[in-house]
Amino acid sequence: MEFPSVQIVVAGNIIQARAGETIVHALWAAGLARHVQTGCVGGVCGACTVSVRFKDGRKGGTDLACMRPVEDGMEVFPFAVDPVPPAPPANEPTVEKLRAVYPTLDRCAKCGSCTAACPMSIPVMDSVLRMQRGEFEAAAEDFTTCIHCGLCRAVCEDKVKPHNMGIWVRRSLGMSQDYPALDQRLVSAGDGRAESEWAYLLTGDEAERLRRAKSFREKGTLS
Amino acid sequence: MMEWARDSLEKIARTRPQRAEQPPPNLDERAVDLLVRDYHPDRAGMERLAAVGPNAGTQRFPHELADLLEADGLLPEGFHPSVDLATDVLIVGGGGAGATAALTLEDSGLQVTLAAKLRLGDSNTVMAEGGIQAALGPDDSTRRRFADSYAGGHGKNDAELLRILCERGPDRIRWLTRLGCLFDRNADGTFRLRSCGGSSTPRVLACRDYTGLEIMRVLRDALLQGQTQVLNHHSAAELLDDGHGQVTGAVLWDSRSGKLVSVSARAVLLATGGSGQLHLQGYPTSNHLGATGDGLVLAYRQGCRLVHMDSFQYHPSGACFPEALAGQLVTESIRSIGAHLLNADGERFVDELLYRDAVASAIIREVVERRGIRTPAGRYGVWLDTPPIDLKKGEGTLRRQFPGLIHRFERYGIDPARYPLLVYPTLHYQNGGIAIDSQCRTEVRGLWAAGEVTGGVHGTNRLMGNSLLDIAVFGALAGESIKQDLPPRGRITLSTAIRYREALKTLPNRPAKAAPQLFPPASGLKVEIAVSRT
Repeated sequence: MEFPSVQIVVAGNIIQARAGETIVHALWAAGLARHVQTGCVGGVCGACTVSVRFKDGRKGGTDLACMRPVEDGMEVFPFAVDPVPPAPPANEPTVEKLRAVYPTLDRCAKCGSCTAACPMSIPVMDSVLRMQRGEFEAAAEDFTTCIHCGLCRAVCEDKVKPHNMGIWVRRSLGMSQDYPALDQRLVSAGDGRAESEWAYLLTGDEAERLRRAKSFREKGTLS
Repeated sequence: MMEWARDSLEKIARTRPQRAEQPPPNLDERAVDLLVRDYHPDRAGMERLAAVGPNAGTQRFPHELADLLEADGLLPEGFHPSVDLATDVLIVGGGGAGATAALTLEDSGLQVTLAAKLRLGDSNTVMAEGGIQAALGPDDSTRRRFADSYAGGHGKNDAELLRILCERGPDRIRWLTRLGCLFDRNADGTFRLRSCGGSSTPRVLACRDYTGLEIMRVLRDALLQGQTQVLNHHSAAELLDDGHGQVTGAVLWDSRSGKLVSVSARAVLLATGGSGQLHLQGYPTSNHLGATGDGLVLAYRQGCRLVHMDSFQYHPSGACFPEALAGQLVTESIRSIGAHLLNADGERFVDELLYRDAVASAIIREVVERRGIRTPAGRYGVWLDTPPIDLKKGEGTLRRQFPGLIHRFERYGIDPARYPLLVYPTLHYQNGGIAIDSQCRTEVRGLWAAGEVTGGVHGTNRLMGNSLLDIAVFGALAGESIKQDLPPRGRITLSTAIRYREALKTLPNRPAKAAPQLFPPASGLKVEIAVSRT
């Protein structure tokens, strides 16, 4: 199958691209890679934020250039977002503690721009409201897929910093979590079998050790 | 949807009910060995000896890498380094290993500078999906974990490094949770553990299918609140030495201004990651833009031997449709919870949880023997049958546990809960690398290395979840070792690099390339150095 050629405009440069490829790959093929900052090329590092627009009036918006396929007539505007310094997480997080480090928490005017801007489809605005109510478990869940591209913050007219608050909530909850089973394992001095099992596994030449590893892994014990 | 594959899709739908009850195809050990021998890309004979350097004439490298090892340096002839920046520890690389080392050095009182070619966190770490291994299950032990990884690595693993990896696992998981990492848990609060290819008991922890993202964003957040000086958009162009074989810094290239920055450091840690963007044998890759093997070239020029450099990991399930996702990872976890691999006839042809090199070889065999499926773009792959997961574990399972997978494919109108995915092996991980000791010291004083750039711990085939633990264990060990063993500051010269350059001039056929490459040629990004003339 042939891939039809489409025309897109990136930062004022007219580019012929192959339908189905991403904006990033179209830029590479055109020798214009420098126009959009790029990182993982896999949709998780958040480097390649752009804004797209269509001449025919269809709704455009923000997206990741490495994930967005080109379409004929698409206009692409680089939209790099610089990070801002994050606030340190807190043990046993509360709304007061969150507000103390992110005082713009309550400024949200519920316009929904952040949710519309998110390339990961996170319900950002709803999650900010959840944070205001102290529903941190739910907010942490919302931000599970956050790539910290910063678009939600960049489009917020009220200077709310949703993704920074998102990781504050996640880290704060994580730090406050107890892991008794893991702690128990870390303090116990082993199970008494360790020494003989290591001796068994580390004896002999390469071929012998490989044979021993294959045999040992079946049951995980020497008996 | 996928009309061009309708016949094959119908066959798959037909075999689905009977497959649900069938055990996986059974291959004995001998058959698996033959499969790997006959079909794995490492065995395709696409290597050659390097003509210069510490492994000259003794170790084989893929052509693409050998070319880089024999390539000229990036610095203009006659460049003389003078100190632009002095620091105690220079970490080269902004992924998980570099960030872990920097955090380990936080309380040391040392000045730490971290140089990232792209931005801090833009790395292979952030792209890791399926999980991180630690022996925490009821039937597990550090020894069983060792045996699984040692057998998987064909016994080529450095046993001492692998033992360290296994024994420090639980402690490192606790460290990550203290920083605030959230791993998926069962109702009783214990970690949810999954199996992976080659694990004899479940031991992979995960944060959905965004485990690397979870770890990297936490490490980055913690690092940005510390004392480390982070230089984004700074690549290492060459290492500096004191004229007597000790590494004493690096010349960085600022990709924004084009300027060179000579850094004097008492210790240099290479944490530059892998090399998937070399696209060995034309394979697609799951790696990030910057995975161009830079650290291998820099260390090799200083006299560090590279080990197992003829061994690379081709992840069995790289996407091969739609074309825009070609090479991108489809996590192994999806196989561990029940997705089948199927050929064009809808037949299962391999146990999906064999070691990765065996599963990748089996997929390649199906395609070579014309049982693959051709995509409209002309790629070939096999099916990864995802719909049975929701049928077996309840509707919505895929969406809950694999939000990343759903998010990526939904954009193209493909719902993995309803349709199978097409996959083919993708260049995923550099099994070999710079030789290190149990303190992450290289063979050259003043130079440490950690993470994917190193070789030995994984032997010639890595298990899922061992690379995220690798960066957490060895990133920390490197930091600890640097604290204990910090050499005095030396003068900065290009003596070793110039000597290597002179040796290259004696070669009859020199590659017309410069290295480190820094960016994949396909990107069209160029290394343009702005030379200030004084």
